[in-house]
Amino acid sequence: QEVTLKFHQFLPQQAPIPSLVLDVWAKKVEAESGGRIKIEQYPAMQLGGKPTDLMDQVVDGIADIVWTLPGYTPGRFPQSEVFELPFVAGDAEATSRAYWELAEKYMIDGEFKDIKVLGLWTHGPGLIHSKTPITSVADLAGVKLRAPTRVTNMMATSLGATAVGMPVPAVPEALSKGVIDATIIPWEVTGSIRLSELLGNHTEFPGAPLYTAAFVMAMNKDVYAGLPDDLKAIIDANSGLEFSAMAGRVSQEADGPARQLAVDAGNTIVELTPEQIEEWKVAAQPTIDTWLTEITEKGIDGAALLEEARAAIAKHSATN
Amino acid sequence: MSNIDIGLWSFPVLLLMIFLRAPIGLAMLVCGLGGLVLVTGGPNIVLAKLKSESYSIFSSYSLSIIPMFLLMGQFATLGGMSQALFKAAESWLGHRKGGVAMAAVGACAGFGAICGSSLATAATMGQVALPELRRAGYSGGLSTATLAAGGTLGILIPPSVVLVVYAILAEQNIAKLFLAAFIPGILAALGYIAVVAIYARLYPETVGSRPRQPYAERFRALFRVWPVLVVFLVVVGGIYLGWFTPTEGASVGALGTGLIAFLNGGLTRKTLVNSFLSTASNTAMIFIIVFGAAVYNSFLAITQVPQEISNFVVGQGYSPWTVLILIIIFYLILGCVMDSLSMILLTIPIFFPVIVQLDFGMSPEHLAIWFGILVLIVVEVGLITPPVGMNLFVINAMDRETPLSATYHAVSFFVASDLLRVALLVAFPSITLFLLP
Amino acid sequence: MHSAFYQLARFMAALGGLILTALMLMTSLSVLLRALGFGPVPGDFELVEAGIAFAIFAFLPWCQMNAGHATVDLFVPLFPRVVNRWILAFWEVVFAAVLVLIAARLYEGMLGKMNNGETTFLLQFPVWWSYAASVCGAVVAAVVSVYVALRRVMGALGGQDTLPAGGGAGH
Ligand code: NA
Ligand code: NA
Repeated sequence: QEVTLKFHQFLPQQAPIPSLVLDVWAKKVEAESGGRIKIEQYPAMQLGGKPTDLMDQVVDGIADIVWTLPGYTPGRFPQSEVFELPFVAGDAEATSRAYWELAEKYMIDGEFKDIKVLGLWTHGPGLIHSKTPITSVADLAGVKLRAPTRVTNMMATSLGATAVGMPVPAVPEALSKGVIDATIIPWEVTGSIRLSELLGNHTEFPGAPLYTAAFVMAMNKDVYAGLPDDLKAIIDANSGLEFSAMAGRVSQEADGPARQLAVDAGNTIVELTPEQIEEWKVAAQPTIDTWLTEITEKGIDGAALLEEARAAIAKHSATN
Repeated sequence: MSNIDIGLWSFPVLLLMIFLRAPIGLAMLVCGLGGLVLVTGGPNIVLAKLKSESYSIFSSYSLSIIPMFLLMGQFATLGGMSQALFKAAESWLGHRKGGVAMAAVGACAGFGAICGSSLATAATMGQVALPELRRAGYSGGLSTATLAAGGTLGILIPPSVVLVVYAILAEQNIAKLFLAAFIPGILAALGYIAVVAIYARLYPETVGSRPRQPYAERFRALFRVWPVLVVFLVVVGGIYLGWFTPTEGASVGALGTGLIAFLNGGLTRKTLVNSFLSTASNTAMIFIIVFGAAVYNSFLAITQVPQEISNFVVGQGYSPWTVLILIIIFYLILGCVMDSLSMILLTIPIFFPVIVQLDFGMSPEHLAIWFGILVLIVVEVGLITPPVGMNLFVINAMDRETPLSATYHAVSFFVASDLLRVALLVAFPSITLFLLP
Repeated sequence: MHSAFYQLARFMAALGGLILTALMLMTSLSVLLRALGFGPVPGDFELVEAGIAFAIFAFLPWCQMNAGHATVDLFVPLFPRVVNRWILAFWEVVFAAVLVLIAARLYEGMLGKMNNGETTFLLQFPVWWSYAASVCGAVVAAVVSVYVALRRVMGALGGQDTLPAGGGAGH
């Protein structure tokens, strides 16, 4: 083959996104190139460093392609955070389409200027998993809630919970030992850590997901630029809007089987009504206000960005 | 030269450097960096990697347990716990044939329960027990060998730095590994006591005697070691019951032993600085090895050598037990010349993927834990096997009258008990897994 | 001259020890607060990560000064003294070169974190602060290792040991 690309990411190869999105992408690119591109996959940080180093690794060419979260490097991708704000996301495919669209307009040459972005997506509707049932905001008072990103930690605090930041693999132990009482996490991730065996309550926000997290798959800019034009075309054909939409859709589809595990375990799944959700929206508003203030200080019109993100998600949700 | 060739060639180069007395961590670092330059076609990627790699590893939350445990061991010494342990053990065992040496083993086991490091246990108990053994008329060979072997209990009995590193490499639960190490650790202590008894019968001229202590005195001495028991139960029990993460447990343990040292008057500005200096030296040494191994292993990952070795071994169709026994023999041989932590860091990324693919009729988690305990024991044997055994050197250096050959002779009996124990644990995995849920 | 470098290494090790002690106290406090139902010290994990990195870099100079690294001394008795002195000096020079490289690259890494504005998750302090602290330790380690290497080379040239030969695996 002509080109070998090292693809580095932080999850084990058999996890849903690596097996159903990343591996599928890699195999497809390899096949379409007639074997001229070889993609060596390095799951679970095999090339060294911490997950938070992945972004620098692809910028510096330590890896040729990475899959990571913009949120792992807080402060570097402020515009991507708009999709992580409370009650902004819709279902994952619509949100992922909106993310790509806005990114093309504002971020690809902006906050993503140091990398060749291949895909941008979000996970399925975010929800709360807890030991005690949670229906109202008041139920969350003083609850030690684990949250994954900067924005979600702010949100946990806005909602009156005690925010505890920790990586996903630490969650089961922390739960069983009472270090945390609840966690937000998409359904898809709960299967591999057997979350439904550790707690009995799940609070869903139908039609208005509480939150989501943004993902980015990116390539080193120089490596991309150094490809012959026909290989560039193969990468391009497999990247962008449709790939992002597919990745979002597959992420959300992986929610179903994991949710079924909770149902089978006899857990309580609270589906909040639109009226009940209103109270949550009000309580989470300070997170949005804080974000708007911060991003304005960076010289970005956050209000307009938020408006546009909401409009784009609504548009794609309608056409799905 | 293909990447796999480069990866395979790096082994003899690394060994050559180590035998030419390169610091082990430095040797791995140089091989890793050099190898990366070769397989990535230039220095750029290595230079980029070094922007964050050292910080990433040194800032690891899970590895921060190591300096905490080392500090805890320092404070435990300052708090007089090593003395109290030896006095208690001696009052119960001292009058028996070889009893003072048995007491030294018991005290090492007790100190091992609050100290995560083998060499620290050997050095600390050596200072306390070696003069006493010699005064009681024990031969230099038996005295030094007993303490060198007893020192390994610092690692075999939880908490244990080597086990922490294994847990991270193999992605296993530290609390469960500590629990699994408990019975084999006690077996090790009992085995060493038996060795002393046998040695004392074979060579009666090598042991002295001490007067029998009244029971009142024995219980008084035993009562003085309660802080050790409390610290052990809080740290290891608390980690297991999930009151806190391992790092938090080590912090609480260090705080506890620090307080005891302070209350006993052992903690002054001078002793505090000295304990910092000792912690500093050992921590830096360990982390240079960890850093070197991380860089070297990321180089090996790119060359695909670990996968190739794993595929090769699995493809041979050897029985799982053959593979396991070959790995154990490999460790025992390597352990004659290499230090335990380096061996774990260097080999687990290669051997672990092989082991998990073999069927020993147990769950993957139990397999990983059982294998971890076996590896822990065989790499620790390396600390007391000639020619290069760190514990032997440290203890022998404390007793200038005793030739190294005398230490070697006596220690061979302890090594024999180690080998017997390994055989036992291989044959009966349930001994290791007994306490696990 | 020697005393200045020796004291510098000693000072850094003691400073690292103090930071380690502070982390121990903070972590224990966090456990206590959590047990009492108040929740942990905010950002306790982040503080441990930043602090422990500094402490380890600060510990390095003392280890260099005392030749505290783990070595395999199997063939030492086979070589004449002068050869062993040169071997020791050679590896100290290599070590110094590597530590200088590490310090320089870490500084570069710090500049990168300064430019991209990356912060921690919870406390949201700039990541480059932690890098800057570690750079201080790494620079002292580099300086001390260069000094030690020079001393070893001079010792080999002059035919005598002027620093402890050390060697030892403490775990
Ligand atoms: Na121990
Ligand atoms: Na040995």
